[in-house]
Amino acid sequence: MSPTGRRPRHNPIADDGDQLRFCSTCAFSDACLSQGYNKTDLMDLHVLVEHVGPYHEGEHIFREGDEFNAIAAVRAGTVKTYVLDASGQEQVLGFHLPGEIIGLNAISEARYPCNAVALDTVMLCRFSFPKMALLATRMPGLQAQLFRLLSQDIGKAALLAGDYSADQRMAAFLVALSRRFAQRGFSATRLHLTMTRTDMANYLRLAPETVSRVLRRLQEDGRIRVDRRELEITDPAGLEDLARAVLRS
Amino acid sequence: MPAMAAIPPFDAELLRRYDRPGPRYTSYPTAPQFKPGFGAADFARAARLSNDDPIPRRLSIYAHVPFCFSPCFYCGCNRIITRDKARADTYLARLVREVAMLGPLFDRDREVVQIHLGGGTPNFFSPSQIGELLESLDTHFRFSQSPGRDFSIELDPRFVEAGDIEALAFMGFNRASLGVQDFDPAVQAAVNRIQSVQETQAVIDACRQHGFRSVNVDLIYGLPLQTRAGFGKTLDTVIATRPDRLAVYSYAHMPQLFRPQKQIDETQLPSAEEKLGLLQLAIEKLSAAGYRYIGMDHFALPGDDLSIAQEKGGLHRNFMGYTTHADCDLVGVGVSSISHVGDTYSQNPRDLPSWEVAIDSGHLPTWRGMQLDADDNLRADLIQQLMCQGEVDIPELEERHEINFGVYFADALARLAPLQADGLVEVSDTRITATSRGRLLLRIIAACFDRYLHQPQAEPARFSKAI
Repeated sequence: MSPTGRRPRHNPIADDGDQLRFCSTCAFSDACLSQGYNKTDLMDLHVLVEHVGPYHEGEHIFREGDEFNAIAAVRAGTVKTYVLDASGQEQVLGFHLPGEIIGLNAISEARYPCNAVALDTVMLCRFSFPKMALLATRMPGLQAQLFRLLSQDIGKAALLAGDYSADQRMAAFLVALSRRFAQRGFSATRLHLTMTRTDMANYLRLAPETVSRVLRRLQEDGRIRVDRRELEITDPAGLEDLARAVLRS
Repeated sequence: MPAMAAIPPFDAELLRRYDRPGPRYTSYPTAPQFKPGFGAADFARAARLSNDDPIPRRLSIYAHVPFCFSPCFYCGCNRIITRDKARADTYLARLVREVAMLGPLFDRDREVVQIHLGGGTPNFFSPSQIGELLESLDTHFRFSQSPGRDFSIELDPRFVEAGDIEALAFMGFNRASLGVQDFDPAVQAAVNRIQSVQETQAVIDACRQHGFRSVNVDLIYGLPLQTRAGFGKTLDTVIATRPDRLAVYSYAHMPQLFRPQKQIDETQLPSAEEKLGLLQLAIEKLSAAGYRYIGMDHFALPGDDLSIAQEKGGLHRNFMGYTTHADCDLVGVGVSSISHVGDTYSQNPRDLPSWEVAIDSGHLPTWRGMQLDADDNLRADLIQQLMCQGEVDIPELEERHEINFGVYFADALARLAPLQADGLVEVSDTRITATSRGRLLLRIIAACFDRYLHQPQAEPARFSKAI
């Protein structure tokens, strides 16, 4: 509690680490600690490159075609990744929250295959990828974690693949967001949406008007309450029900 | 009946003690906090951002018509006295251009649920001119087709002609607000507003006949030569017409601020004591006639939408006063009008030439405004609850704004203590509640939470007194 009485926001600021402790949201801390590596060990290996940022709203972190040499974990804020299709239209690939990794899809190439832009004030932790990969060969836990993170990236395909209604897709999107926040120790029911409705619509392949119509319907059904960018899940079970077909769990 | 709805008891001694200047909180922060550094580009950006909310807010449009045929001496509004009807044409042409600039800033799926024409005297425009304005709004915005939409207009009954109301109803207007002030001939002469009961009644009847959902009547107490007998008769006459809503405003004599008021003979003004007596009379008569107290200066019949909204906690307050339309972005058109889009306020120039120059050069005429920060939003939320519900739910506010109330508002709570001791307000761990005694002094209670009133300023803002 600050002396002014303002409490820290529920998201997206993570507890910062220091020389010895990992950030509370670090994507790799569990994997490393379970292997007996603490942060100092990683520093010795020069794996942990640096804390970078802040990037401000609208600022690019990397662009498609930039040389790939590092992956980055989001420490604070939200990063949007996207590509431009042949006609120059933006296609949103994903939103990356604190504790999540950007740049993973660059692993198979020498260059970033997409753009990454900050949606609000973003802080990153950059890892040298070649060194990380080398370390992973000696740390099965870290390797497994890398694979896990890679497979998480595939989630979006499932969201759009099936013959699901707009309501189901929206519910799945919100439930997934809520779970990701909860996993990092943030509130599962009160979400601050940093993405615009245009981005949400683009990501879910819906018209922006449909995004609002669906959200309004969910609100009228008592599942959520929306006030500007603040979204409260008022009936988590009801929303999960609706999302189940898409998320299959 | 909700805590607010009963008409508050009258306590002259208390009202006298707290009759001090304070903002009316049609907005928080109040207009004196708006800064010229906030301009057209900021307004456009706010509009763009507001389109990208998950559920963009619906829109409420205010259009200002500054002209009046003759000067009422009590007036503190932004208006221009003229009998030259040609001025309406040139003003309308620019209004239409402003609407055309504003419309594209807002996504088409954002329905307009409220339109309000204020003034000045909106019926300085002929019905066909009003029709033209509405047509341009309809072209550049999307009107809600819901029966719950409000199209309202302030009318000066002296200049309403036969057939006008029918024409307005045909355009979709369904609410009207009529200026009356006082029917006492002596008072009418002293304030330069001669208006008969008959012409007023005729407009009310026409509104009813053409399906208007509500008619509001404005009265003012504290005018020169006003007496209990005369004002009492006015109240009886007005109550007999059963307006759905009634506003009983206090006349604030501030001639240094509002030049028309210099023509009022100060020696004819009622004393503070007499003025309080007039308010008491109004409260007693309205109470006996079955009206409910909405807040500030406003009363409504139990079946009116405002009373119903108050019961459900759906009452809101903006520059147009109390409204049932929660959570709209407010778009102002015309000279001096104020917009409230997202976390911003912006205001057009208050003088006609500056507004005209901006429109003629094809620019949005934003003159000044402000971006609200987290603290402003928190206090705005709190003051809104106080003004509309008469109470604040502390845990809910803490949750929504992520604060510890007692710590955050320690200074405000200290300022509230004497009001608490006087029985105007009750403070518990979970609630701040205006008592029945405090409900006529909501703005004094709200002022305890106004950060800008309690910080040193270069020039103190001037506000009217509470009663």
